[in-house]
Amino acid sequence: MNTRLGIWAAAMAALQLAVIPPVFAQSGDPLAVGRKMLIEDNPGELWIDQGQSLFYEKRGPKKVSLEQCDFGMGPGKLEGAAARLPRYFADTDRVEDLETRLLTCMTRLQGFDRNELLKTAISAPASKGSDIEALALFITSRSNGMKVNVSLNHQKEYEMYKAGEYLFYRRSGQTDFGCVQCHGEQGKRIRLQDLVHMTSKAGAQEVSSTWPAYRGSHYVVRTMQWRLNDCVWQMRLPDLKYATEYSIALTTFLNRQGNDAVIQVPGFKR
Amino acid sequence: MKNSFLRFLFAAAGLLVAGCATYPDEATTRQIAEKMVFEAFSASPAHLKRLEQDRSQQICSKVGNANLSTEEAAEVVKLARDSIKYPASGQIVGDWKTGDILAHDGAGDRIRDGKTENRKVNGALCQNCHGLAPGEINVGNVGPALTGYGKQRGNSEAIAKYTYDKIYNAWAFFPCSNMPRLGATGHLTQEQVAHMVAYLIDPQSPINK
Repeated sequence: MNTRLGIWAAAMAALQLAVIPPVFAQSGDPLAVGRKMLIEDNPGELWIDQGQSLFYEKRGPKKVSLEQCDFGMGPGKLEGAAARLPRYFADTDRVEDLETRLLTCMTRLQGFDRNELLKTAISAPASKGSDIEALALFITSRSNGMKVNVSLNHQKEYEMYKAGEYLFYRRSGQTDFGCVQCHGEQGKRIRLQDLVHMTSKAGAQEVSSTWPAYRGSHYVVRTMQWRLNDCVWQMRLPDLKYATEYSIALTTFLNRQGNDAVIQVPGFKR
Repeated sequence: MKNSFLRFLFAAAGLLVAGCATYPDEATTRQIAEKMVFEAFSASPAHLKRLEQDRSQQICSKVGNANLSTEEAAEVVKLARDSIKYPASGQIVGDWKTGDILAHDGAGDRIRDGKTENRKVNGALCQNCHGLAPGEINVGNVGPALTGYGKQRGNSEAIAKYTYDKIYNAWAFFPCSNMPRLGATGHLTQEQVAHMVAYLIDPQSPINK
């Protein structure tokens, strides 16, 4: 597997250097062609098997698998579960997204130390990736082909959604950025990077159905928590902690807006 | 028997909760979300300050980009006008070559693992969002292209002052626009803003070629 990854890394690097077509695609991104080719054979697929092994393996101080973990459809029932996240869980009395729910199960069921998990949740570029990244991808892949269906029923789900909407528009810091400054209009780019138009249905659907995704420039699978983390860094805000209410709120807002998109993971990002 | 009764109770309670659940009002949402902001980041007190909104940012954070009231727009404009400061030297047109470098610099003051980027000066971030010199490809389009800025407007004193003010605090002209208030928030120094003015209006600058 490492060799295969290595070959992919080399191929990716070569493509990124070599493919600069003289005429740009509509997106204006000279790498769009190469990226499209790669989507059809996404290296992120390799992480699914890894996540599956991790899911069924007896792990942690308590030496149990994650089969008793309830992602909302009942213990161990993964088909379509990720499509409905974030959602309210009675056992923790809070709204959890996929990664937060994983943390809950890995600590409660398997006995892992939460702080240790947090330290490694987001992996280094060009590494083997973290357990949580692989697990998040495996679990989401069990909703492939299904429609995103985030429903608001519980009061805390309503609150989470509204908080996410509020945060999407909240400007702060020395660059005066909220999310909407970059993601509020169609056809916009930062330098050559296309920006998802998240206030449109289609844009929100792109968000809700393509994470976790293989990040070409990092050679690893990345999750929504990572995506938010990186945005916040560019916005000149401090370090966003992993699995906070802030991230869950934004994810609830975006995924709900992106309802009815057909999930297809791993996505592929530049 | 007891079990099924309990189940019935839970179901009834569930229905009740579902029946009552609804969107919180604006004030409640604000309270919930603001609490989230201040719990979400690990940072020193100095860095945490970046999360606090000033009055203008509060006004400019309307959900759904709702329109500003006339009073709100006037307040943002007034705050912006009052914020503008000029270099001690009085020179608001600096060196276009320095400005050219800054225009293409998108780094500065980002925080990772509690540390800010180790740089002497912040980049001016222009390239991220604006078209610059003719033929430049690696430029964004979130803001309007600035290609030929000085060619179209000239380099009179009035244009220099307008350009300085616009970069220092764009909200003095367009309240709540997407453009960061680069001088007013301290991202750029007054001297740096003057270099950006030169880059935009000097006939020798590549942006006007």
